Amino acid sequence: MQRQRSSPTRTDPVNGSESSTRGDLLLRALTAAGAVGVGGLLVGSLAGPAASAPSPAQDVRILNYFLLLEYLQQGLYEEARAAGGLNGELNRFAAVAARQEREHVASLRSALGGDARSKPEFQFGEAIENERRFGAAAVTLEEAAAAAYIGQAANLTTKRIPMIARMVPVEARHAAWIRGIVGREPAPHAADPAREPHEVEQTIERTGFVKRR
Amino acid sequence: MSNDADSRREAPDELGFTLADIDRDEAIAEGLSIVHGETRARFLGKLAFGSAALVAGLASPSALAASPEQDVSTLNFDLVFEFLQSSFYLGAVRDGTVAAMRPEKERWARVLGAHEVAHVKILKSVLGKKAVAKPFFNFRGVTEDEAAFTRTAVAMEDLTVALLAGQAPKFHDRNLTAAVFSLLTTEARHAAWARRIAGFVPVAKAFDEPKTLTEVDRVVRRTRFIAARPRTRSRRKPELTG
Repeated sequence: MQRQRSSPTRTDPVNGSESSTRGDLLLRALTAAGAVGVGGLLVGSLAGPAASAPSPAQDVRILNYFLLLEYLQQGLYEEARAAGGLNGELNRFAAVAARQEREHVASLRSALGGDARSKPEFQFGEAIENERRFGAAAVTLEEAAAAAYIGQAANLTTKRIPMIARMVPVEARHAAWIRGIVGREPAPHAADPAREPHEVEQTIERTGFVKRR
Repeated sequence: MSNDADSRREAPDELGFTLADIDRDEAIAEGLSIVHGETRARFLGKLAFGSAALVAGLASPSALAASPEQDVSTLNFDLVFEFLQSSFYLGAVRDGTVAAMRPEKERWARVLGAHEVAHVKILKSVLGKKAVAKPFFNFRGVTEDEAAFTRTAVAMEDLTVALLAGQAPKFHDRNLTAAVFSLLTTEARHAAWARRIAGFVPVAKAFDEPKTLTEVDRVVRRTRFIAARPRTRSRRKPELTG
């Protein structure tokens, strides 16, 4: 399931330290079989970094891709805060990041207007009840968002890039902060790798956070 | 690329780290050796890995050959800034300030320094003969004092984020935009890490404020850290067009 396309030695921030639950395994099996997969939910048809000519139609696809990632982060942080199981710096992180992701969601929705996708239903499970699971989930989502932005931001039309360029570093700051809190290196690369949409989609599918319709 | 003698030789030994220690997927070491030694065609073959947008974008055949002069000027400005940062961290290592830090903080300072050294090498490689020479720096005692060093590091990393957030959208070449985004996120991680080490909230706002080249240049001049700007190797001076 886990194919490392970029380099055999690359550490995957998603699976580096997480063990699989039976639920994860089941989801993987289902996804692999294509039974009720969320394939296509995220990305439709997006090309690799800086590979396709920008267009307003492509902007809608890319911005909706970003919007889903922001919905996910906002949802995780808000629900974890509501569940009340977070303490100390982890709780402060969730509070600050929830507010900022909410602003990102609002900006993307405003840029998309009537084309904005609606917020899916989420099921965060243990990630909002257990501090260790929350930390791991937050690292996964923040890393996915940062890498997704790096991979697609340059494919936007010229007028859309400045707003995104102000959001990208905030996602990276979140990633560094949560990594520091959970005891992982905040800046593991001299230059952050991009991830292609299908890789990000696989990451999201593996979390099982998006409810199937 | 474990057999790559060139990239090993160029590792920042002064910091006590090699690029391989820092860059776990070896994308930078690989990129450097490729930029230095291999043919473009071979490089493009490796581009399919897409492991580091920075190296990929900066070293792609279209990156500089077809770039307008303004892209080159902007990259040169970024290079001066990376020179400033790498010299700053190296200075603190040389002054013994870094070795005296608590272990967690020492690691932070060394990792950031190594990353900035890597950024200098990459930008220099890409700019080739168009690269500006390294200015002379005078940090006026800041690298000798842990508290002053830390405060300045926070300000410098935040300023780099503002610089790159402002510049990334302005490159004419989209490959450069994509590449600079992967540099921007690294600098943003540095800034967040520095702020956390210094006891500040790592992420102050939902949107980072971009700064123009002119604004950043004004801040840098105020520090008087750049003691002398050597003549540029290219005939044209870098333009400060925000």
